[in-house]
Amino acid sequence: MKDLLRIASTVSDQAELYCNSQESDSVSFENAQLKDIDSKIQSGLSLRLIKDNKLGFAYTKNLLNPKDLVDNALSSLKGGVEAEFSFPLTSEVNRVNTYDSSLEELNNMVMVKECQRLVDLLSLRTKGQINVDAGKVVEKLSITNHRGTNLSTRSSFYYSYISVFYPASYAGVHKLLVGKKFQEMPDSSVNYVLDMYNQSQEEVKPKGERMKVLFLPETLYVLIWRLKIGTSGKSVYDKETPIAEKIGEKIFDSKLTIYNDPLDDNLPGARSFDDEGVPGKYFPLVEEGVLKNFYYDLHYAKKLNTDSTGHGFRGGMGFGASESITVKPNPNLNHLYVKPGDKTFQEMLKMMDKGIIVGGVLGAHSGNLLNGDFSVGLSPGIYVENGEIIGHVKDAMVAGNIYEVMKNVVAVENVYHPSTSMGTFPSILFEDVSVATKY
Amino acid sequence: MLDELKRILSKVDADYADLRYEIKKETRIVFNGKELSQIGSNTADGYVARVLKNGGFSTIAFTSESESEKALKKATENALLLAGNLKEPVKLAPISAVKDKFKPILKEDPRNISIDEKLELTRQYNSIPLKQEGISTTAIQYFEVSREKYFVSTEGAEIREDLVTNGINGSIVSRKDNLLQNVRVGIGGSDGFYRIRNQEAEFEKKTSIALQLLEAKPVTRGVYNVILNPSMAGVFTHEAFGHFSEADLIEDSPTMREKMQIGAKLGNEVLTIIDDPTVPNQLGFYRYDDEGVLASPVTLLNKGVLSGHLHSRRTANNFSELTNGHSVAEDYRYAPIIRMGNIFIQAGTNSFEELLTELGDGLYILDAKGGQTSGENFTFGAQYAYLVKGGKITEMVRDINIVGNLYQTMQNIVSVGNDLVLSEIGGCGKGQLNIRSSHGGPHIMVKNLVIGGV
Repeated sequence: MKDLLRIASTVSDQAELYCNSQESDSVSFENAQLKDIDSKIQSGLSLRLIKDNKLGFAYTKNLLNPKDLVDNALSSLKGGVEAEFSFPLTSEVNRVNTYDSSLEELNNMVMVKECQRLVDLLSLRTKGQINVDAGKVVEKLSITNHRGTNLSTRSSFYYSYISVFYPASYAGVHKLLVGKKFQEMPDSSVNYVLDMYNQSQEEVKPKGERMKVLFLPETLYVLIWRLKIGTSGKSVYDKETPIAEKIGEKIFDSKLTIYNDPLDDNLPGARSFDDEGVPGKYFPLVEEGVLKNFYYDLHYAKKLNTDSTGHGFRGGMGFGASESITVKPNPNLNHLYVKPGDKTFQEMLKMMDKGIIVGGVLGAHSGNLLNGDFSVGLSPGIYVENGEIIGHVKDAMVAGNIYEVMKNVVAVENVYHPSTSMGTFPSILFEDVSVATKY
Repeated sequence: MLDELKRILSKVDADYADLRYEIKKETRIVFNGKELSQIGSNTADGYVARVLKNGGFSTIAFTSESESEKALKKATENALLLAGNLKEPVKLAPISAVKDKFKPILKEDPRNISIDEKLELTRQYNSIPLKQEGISTTAIQYFEVSREKYFVSTEGAEIREDLVTNGINGSIVSRKDNLLQNVRVGIGGSDGFYRIRNQEAEFEKKTSIALQLLEAKPVTRGVYNVILNPSMAGVFTHEAFGHFSEADLIEDSPTMREKMQIGAKLGNEVLTIIDDPTVPNQLGFYRYDDEGVLASPVTLLNKGVLSGHLHSRRTANNFSELTNGHSVAEDYRYAPIIRMGNIFIQAGTNSFEELLTELGDGLYILDAKGGQTSGENFTFGAQYAYLVKGGKITEMVRDINIVGNLYQTMQNIVSVGNDLVLSEIGGCGKGQLNIRSSHGGPHIMVKNLVIGGV
């Protein structure tokens, strides 16, 4: 690898090498039966060159010949992609705890047993379809550049995920656990899923109207996704965001504080530097409803005459499974949190005279994301009346615009939870949101 | 390479095993607005092995040949761990092992066209929207993906097949004050570079729609009778019905499997749905799937009655049905999963004008904007629609999102047009991305669809 960087540096003004390798195992139970155990052993690398303020980019999996990779990068340089930024010299970064060696030794048998234990616990109290997954990923990442930046990190990631589905559908109630090492999912999580499922088993047919809507940590990404797009340095540069001029202004309800914190290493995945080698830091996005910052990578920071905020990450926004080596860094928030409020989940339920809990969504990517519009199918919608869950709704949609809906927050849950999409969030209850049903 | 794969595979002690090696070459040219933000060609490769032992079936994806011994050992361990904990051992439906080399016939192989020409063409299409006042930006890319696949199995299969896909796609963004509108555009296919030449009219049309949307009113949410254009009909068929006929999605749900039994009356008798990867010159064409099974057409719904499922060898055995070659992987990182190849509603007899007359009052909904499904529930968006009054198309409306229930909607498709069109650009994200997912249909009329506006 040192050779590669040396060769690359001699033919360009600046060079950067990103290397990534990971081993992973996953176990899945479907309908309470063991279904699959699969593994991956993957590695690859990606090279960026800058010469005369133009960018060259190339990647490969098996580095059969370093010169070929450099040649690919040089030939892409001819295309004339602008790059007026400089790769950073980062010599010191914060220490974050991201790795637990016990996960490397974890046998797949242990994950099979944990899944079986969860299946057995869930089966005791429900006849709904039960799916349980567990898995682990151990990853190594390094970023080196011509200025002498030489950063690396090793991380361990364990997850388990339980689901109970309503009949004839993949709409259900879920709970996720993540950690740096193996751990059992607590009974409280199992009970949360069972209670929510059992109380909502009956299908109900409420009339469509404006009502209170509660987004769970698992579905809050529908709103957060649009905020991420709205606050991206790329959207600011492209003049695509409706909040370009609103730094310092109140855009949301004052109960909302939203921040990115890559240094918080309580959960797995903490990072002391981004995918361009820029140090990470606590970064407020919205404080008590007031818009504080836009976020940048090296490229868009330079375009807008500011500094990278340490948010250059490979891997796009939202969905899509591009391998990180195959994509260039772009502005992204990979460690998002919404600050917990002061109500328990039960207290929030009691505040709903009539409303819908967004348990899962279909079509989060539909609608005008740039504008902040959303319009999602509920999968499921859990219907609440007078503070009690009374059933689930089919064929319903929740729609609105985040710059209106997020102004009307009734309550924020007093604890946050990891989610499978976009961050660590509490449940949030909104007022007066449009719900369409067939009834 | 096939001999090298056979050598690696010969070391496995299993009841069945297969090994796929792929070289994936990708060319990408990306414009954000006027600016070129990415250009280049790259090559990546890797191996995927599957091992069946004592009824346990496990997959491992690995990058380097030097890891093959470790990887196969791990897959065998996983298979044995599965075997010890499974209620029903996995069996694969029998097939005849094939030895074949298949290269697609391409009209202008995109791999032989210079990157300068590709850049120039992309720049030219991108400039069509950008020169219009009211267009704030674009995101337009040229993509070209070639998968060079090598497949061997312990049953003696030796298959070499190439899949070459290219296109130009992206979005056009219009703006008036704080209102932004986004319209998708896409041209391409899997039978050669000629597909993306002389397509200026498509970019002009989509630019015009983006501008018109700035003046359109949001749709009022509610229940409507609608006509879906071929693009929308195709996405509906793919999202709402197609996924449900993928046997791996219903295999482990007794309730769904019961509803999707062969012979079940699911739709109106005007409706016949087919998945046929073997239709030449369409986006979803392939000869063999990633289990080495010859692809064949499947009539999934025949005049409203369920008549087939899409299968892997594993599910074909489980359902006691025939294999049809629908188990496909995204690339060298993945095990194959069941996918649609080219799903469409068979053309009916009504002209578009006849459908409009039959509709009377309602919405004419055009061009899909992504969709998603969860069992019987589906949702998808549309780029735009027109209000129809007394059989006449009137003003444009925006913010169209549809939510529905598969069974009810299938019954509510009351008329089928005579104008079948297949898609040129795909992108189905069922865990993996399938850029060759082709779908289509004629204009269709659907009663009582829930439209959730903003």
